[in-house]
Amino acid sequence: MKAIVSVRDAVKNYTLGNVVVPALRGVTLDVVAGDFISIAGPSGSGKTTLLNLIGCVDTPTSGVVEVAGKDTRQLSERALTELRLHTIGFIFQSFNLVSVLTVFQNIELPLLLQRQLSGPERKTRVLGLLEKVGIRDYTNHRPSELSGGQRQRVAIARALVTRPQLVLADEPTANLDSVTGQNILDIMKELNRTEKTTFIFSTHDQHVMANANSIVRLADGKLVDRVTPGVAASQPHGAQV
Amino acid sequence: MSGWFATLGVVAQMAFRNLFASRLKTIIVGGIIFFGGLLVVVGNSLLDSVVASMSRSVIGSVAGHIQVYNAKSKDSLEVMGRMMMGDPDLAQLDDFSKVRASLLKVPNVKSVVPMGISGALVTSGNTIDLALEKLRNAVKAERDAKTDADRARAQAQVAAEKGHVRQIVSVLQGDLKNAKAVLDAKAIDPADAEAVTRAASDKFWQDFDKDPFNGLEFLENRIASQAADADLLFLNYVGTDFQAFQKSFDRMKIVDGTMVPAGKRGFLFAKQVYEDQLKLKAARRLDKIKEGIDSQGETIATDPDLKRMVRENTSQVREILLQLDAPKTTDFRAKLQRELSSTETDVGKLLATFFQTDDQNFHQRYDFFYKELAPSLELYRVRIGDVLTIKAFTRSGYVQSVNVPVYGTFQFQGLEKSTLAGALNLMDMVSFRELYGFMSGEKLAEIQALQKEAGAHDISRENAEAELFGKADAPADAPAVKAPRHIQATTTPGVSAVTHDLGESLGGKLQREEARSRVFPPGEVEQGVVLNAAVIVKDPKKIKETIAAIEAQGKQDGLSLKAIDWQEAAGLIGKFVNVVRIVLYVSILIIFLIALVIINNALVMATLERVKEIGTLRAIGAQRRFILAMLVIESIVVGVIFGGLGALLGALIVTVVGKIGIPAKSDIWFFFFSGPRLHPFIGTSNVIAAFVIVLLVSAFSSFYPAWIAMRVTPRQAMSEEE
Repeated sequence: MKAIVSVRDAVKNYTLGNVVVPALRGVTLDVVAGDFISIAGPSGSGKTTLLNLIGCVDTPTSGVVEVAGKDTRQLSERALTELRLHTIGFIFQSFNLVSVLTVFQNIELPLLLQRQLSGPERKTRVLGLLEKVGIRDYTNHRPSELSGGQRQRVAIARALVTRPQLVLADEPTANLDSVTGQNILDIMKELNRTEKTTFIFSTHDQHVMANANSIVRLADGKLVDRVTPGVAASQPHGAQV
Repeated sequence: MSGWFATLGVVAQMAFRNLFASRLKTIIVGGIIFFGGLLVVVGNSLLDSVVASMSRSVIGSVAGHIQVYNAKSKDSLEVMGRMMMGDPDLAQLDDFSKVRASLLKVPNVKSVVPMGISGALVTSGNTIDLALEKLRNAVKAERDAKTDADRARAQAQVAAEKGHVRQIVSVLQGDLKNAKAVLDAKAIDPADAEAVTRAASDKFWQDFDKDPFNGLEFLENRIASQAADADLLFLNYVGTDFQAFQKSFDRMKIVDGTMVPAGKRGFLFAKQVYEDQLKLKAARRLDKIKEGIDSQGETIATDPDLKRMVRENTSQVREILLQLDAPKTTDFRAKLQRELSSTETDVGKLLATFFQTDDQNFHQRYDFFYKELAPSLELYRVRIGDVLTIKAFTRSGYVQSVNVPVYGTFQFQGLEKSTLAGALNLMDMVSFRELYGFMSGEKLAEIQALQKEAGAHDISRENAEAELFGKADAPADAPAVKAPRHIQATTTPGVSAVTHDLGESLGGKLQREEARSRVFPPGEVEQGVVLNAAVIVKDPKKIKETIAAIEAQGKQDGLSLKAIDWQEAAGLIGKFVNVVRIVLYVSILIIFLIALVIINNALVMATLERVKEIGTLRAIGAQRRFILAMLVIESIVVGVIFGGLGALLGALIVTVVGKIGIPAKSDIWFFFFSGPRLHPFIGTSNVIAAFVIVLLVSAFSSFYPAWIAMRVTPRQAMSEEE
């Protein structure tokens, strides 16, 4: 299978004042299309930084990050934004919906940014997704009128509405109770199966990472190992908090 | 591209929603912008209306669109608003015909009118002087009468004039009594008091019949000085070519009398000056009260100005009393007693009661005054046909005097009520040049001719008195004119106008005749000196270009010409408008600067609150320009809605006020409104200007917050702080 994400010796340093803080110290990772991967590790292990690099939100200090065959270091800010718009979907820990827009409008937003579909096409696509994530009844509600789980469903629908090759989810269940979190995971899994969308999500929750096809474990900005869920659970230095 | 529109739609929608979400911010920002838009529209409209009515007054009366004068002048030209400042120091334009030829080469110039503007203080005749002059003429006529019929007529005339003088003396007696009641005895000159008592005595009048000239001398020397009733009069005048003036300023209309014929000396009063300054004050006040009631909707009961005028009319009846001789006194007493159903016999008290008008009886009294009383009164101190002697300081400082006959009064159609347009009187160019001190060849010839004439009448000192009183070879009245009087005018206030100077008796008659009959040579006005020239243009929108073209053409023709537009030519008044405009613009600027700061602040706060949202938008693929558009549209929406509402309300206010008109509550406003009411109008340009300013301000104020917003990275969407 073709790799949709290819990370080679990625190093990322952040500068805080005069101090250089290393966030990633050389990570190499390949993700093939249609995969369902969890990035696990304690706080400060570099999960979010790795997701940011893959999500074209950031570029590595050194090393190479290729997304959909494009070297992100070679791309302009504008081209990176284009790449995010057309190739990647984002799901955030705290949902990050636009509070002044309705559920429908929130989901439609990326399509509007893409400017490729007509109004009716957009409507069909959005309503179809609402159906899939099970919040069809809340089409015209505002995010503030929804529960956390419902909001995250909206966020998932928004991430998927452009039919991206890759969806990144940063701790998508961290703000949800376990039942709701599992529901969200189930939806993601279902979409991965039916739409063949690649999912990469970060988590430090054992139950959540158990849903993944493989778990990439990070510690101190380095890749520890890449295992399948059954193995990970039995490993002594599992990625607990 | 429906996608593009849809994006714009969603941006606009987000903007709207955000505005609703932070209502307080929106209301504060919107309120300021609303007020700004209102102010721009209302302020500019009012100012434009004032400028428009003022420009009509200034351009349509004397200034024309452009004024041209010598660029070497020390001061700048001021056609109007220079009343208190004296004449500006202007260098002359030596040959008007060359200036005109040069100006007419400029394509946009329609016509050119030669001018010179100056002013002189004038004292008009006293009632008693006129009465004494009439008495003297009657006495002379009696003495020189050839037939019995002539003698009888002259005797009747003498009796009538004597009655009038005695009436004046009795008024003085009344004054004296009043003065004694309120003043310390020392404040009254005993010699004056004695003179009045003597003039009132029957013995004096018996003596008068024996030696009338002696009696006249006493009256002229001792009594006339006590009965001065004429005010000093400051006349601003424009020396010009009457025919060219009338052609170029086509709103000009002769109201009374006739136009000054070509090549003649002459003076035309502005109708307003004539009414305001030369009319009998009581009559003028009645006119003003009537206007206040009829066209301003005021009432005597409530308006302090009208009240004051009524009061002044009741207390200042002396000017009327002085005019009444014995038969007129009887006549007035009878009429007033009937009108007022009163048994009072004192005409002064009757008049005071008569003028005590209120809102009920005013119109009846007004009509009665003009129908019954006015025909017996001299309503104007200077009549059409009189010869005005104007004495003015020339540029070099000596006093020059010129006799000009008054041909009539004029006003400008549509500007009848404009104080601005009605302030300047007209004089022929040749008289103006003489008063201003230009010695033309014609003037030199005139002086020689005068000397020759004077030589023919060579009078020795001993014979002077006989010449003064005894000669009766010419009737004082020129046949064409109804009793022309000789009005003394001088630029020196305080000099009593009573004394007849020797020159009047010797050369005055001659001058008077000459003033009326002399014709200038055709080139006189054309080729002579002028101070400035008014230019009427074909296209008033191109005044700026035309000014540049005129100055360039002048340079090319070797003339040093300076051209200024009408507003600059209007002097102080024009400057005042500019000052008001600057004040308005500065206050608008300040309001919008404050708006800018407040809006900027509010938007920065709003942006900082929305960092996460913006980061999210960036993460899911919104370009920076989308964020920029969103914030700018947000500001512009506020600007358009609130600024638009403000401008709309402003337009509404101006329209409504324009229908009703703003009444000029005092003379100053009358002056600036160029009439009794200002009808402001909406200029489309003002509404557009308001809109553009509001848009610019709101767009500009969103730049800094937008810049902050554009620096938000998608990574900030991931941060967990709420």
